[in-house]
Amino acid sequence: MKKPSFWVLSILAAVIITACANQRGPAEQAVTAAESALTNIRDMANRYAPDQLQAVDAQLNGVKDSLAKGDYKGVMAAMPALNTAISNLKDTATANQQAAEAASAKAKDAWGPLSSDVPKMVDAISSRVDILSKSHHLPKGVTKDTLAAAKSGLDSMKSAWSDASNAATSGDYTTAVTKGQAVKDQASQIMQSLGMKS
Amino acid sequence: MADDKTPAADNPYTQTYVVQSGDTLSKIAQKYYGDASLYTKIFQANRDVLSDPNKISPGQKLRIP
Repeated sequence: MKKPSFWVLSILAAVIITACANQRGPAEQAVTAAESALTNIRDMANRYAPDQLQAVDAQLNGVKDSLAKGDYKGVMAAMPALNTAISNLKDTATANQQAAEAASAKAKDAWGPLSSDVPKMVDAISSRVDILSKSHHLPKGVTKDTLAAAKSGLDSMKSAWSDASNAATSGDYTTAVTKGQAVKDQASQIMQSLGMKS
Repeated sequence: MADDKTPAADNPYTQTYVVQSGDTLSKIAQKYYGDASLYTKIFQANRDVLSDPNKISPGQKLRIP
């Protein structure tokens, strides 16, 4: 069999090199565009879709590896999936952000009544505990253990309420309401145990 | 003078009691505190409607601090 001549091989190599070089520019541009798109949503994604962001980062790193190795064809083949992943990430993060903002607004509304009610409940319990502590005989239905539990409950409620108030002050109404509602439930239970609910 | 821990008069979580015929503040204190001698706590919490701890009237709504 006749071997291809030097010139034929040279021309073939030149064609291949040219073809690769032709794909390099578009591949670099595609990766740069993907990186830019991801940078634009990174903060939001980091907060509202961190796991998905991590997966997209891994996908992008894979594409960048291919680019570094000169596998421009591989880069171009991977770009549609990467772009779709970035688009999906943006959609998820946006939806999660909107849901979080709606929940926060709802929690802020709930915080108003809580912040008014709970301190009054604590005051009422504190007064009753103080008086019962001076009583020589506890009323029917209230034992020494009940009173002791109410006293320790008061301390834990004050501490938890402080945490809830601090959360509200910092704008975290979801946490504030969760903690505040727990204090209200505990206060309600203590009032019941002390016979303060007719 | 009211106890420092007495809740504000408008505290909706302060228990209330409507005076019945034959009630005294001591009886009410016995019922809610188990100790008749603590009637002064109820008197102090209701100074806006009571001027004398020995004078309460049926139908009066009292705060039980």
